[in-house]
Amino acid sequence: MMETFALDITESTKTLFETMIMMDLNHDVASMADNTQIKTDVIGMVSFTGKCPGVIALFCSKTFSIKVASKILMSELNDFTSDVKDAIGEIANMIAGNVKTKLIAKYGDMHLSIPIVITGEGLSITAVNNHPMVAETTLSCFSKEPWLMMPFVSNNEKFSVGLLLRESNK
Amino acid sequence: MPKVLIIDDSAVMRKIIQRNIQQSGLLVDEFVEAGDGREGLEKATSNNIDLILCDWNMPNMSGIDFVKALRCSGQKNNIPIVMVTTEGGETKIEEAKGSGANGYLTKPFTPEQLRSKLGNFLLVK
Repeated sequence: MMETFALDITESTKTLFETMIMMDLNHDVASMADNTQIKTDVIGMVSFTGKCPGVIALFCSKTFSIKVASKILMSELNDFTSDVKDAIGEIANMIAGNVKTKLIAKYGDMHLSIPIVITGEGLSITAVNNHPMVAETTLSCFSKEPWLMMPFVSNNEKFSVGLLLRESNK
Repeated sequence: MPKVLIIDDSAVMRKIIQRNIQQSGLLVDEFVEAGDGREGLEKATSNNIDLILCDWNMPNMSGIDFVKALRCSGQKNNIPIVMVTTEGGETKIEEAKGSGANGYLTKPFTPEQLRSKLGNFLLVK
């Protein structure tokens, strides 16, 4: 199942880069990562509900987010503005939308949340132990469960697209 | 020259669509923007709109509800509508067309795909 998800994420990310971002894209092998291994500046995430509830998130640096936002907005951006944050949300949304279309064929109808963008310096995602909301919600990336991480390289910058599924659905 | 209404809850996506239209060589005189179907309905009926591009998932009034509402309204109910959305399944496309949408474009799209879908409604340079 995880191999299928990894392929779906790769194809969706590739489609986006070939159509609206127009930057080179290479990918590496997918791996499972726990929250201690994830460090990033920007997280663009979209959660989904249905038979396979979970979260899809884009993890990247601020410099990479400015580059992709410049490309998709067709204008040269130099700072980490609100347009850059919104563009990262839309990029996460389009990847998630494409993955969703592939999953619907296999698992039935699903719904996506609006995209959420979190920014900071060297962000990590840490599970809140014993917090009942974390176990129940599909809207949070702060889970103790491992992420399926697809590493990519574009324009000499590394970034990842991760998928987190609720344990009961693995 | 035509006036195009873009209905999408993301301001940055409205900007992306506008720039793609400008880059693709399609002739548009003015863009009008709306953040959801309800605002879209107001702007569609109070402006001389030639083409509407509409997202599917939006707060207050979704894109599909907007299409149904405009087609059932007594005024401006024949403006062409192209859905521009991440919703890509065949069922959704059929539902949109059955509700009165004239075209369907899945995000992400290339400028060529955009020109091909909108070229039926707008002139190309």
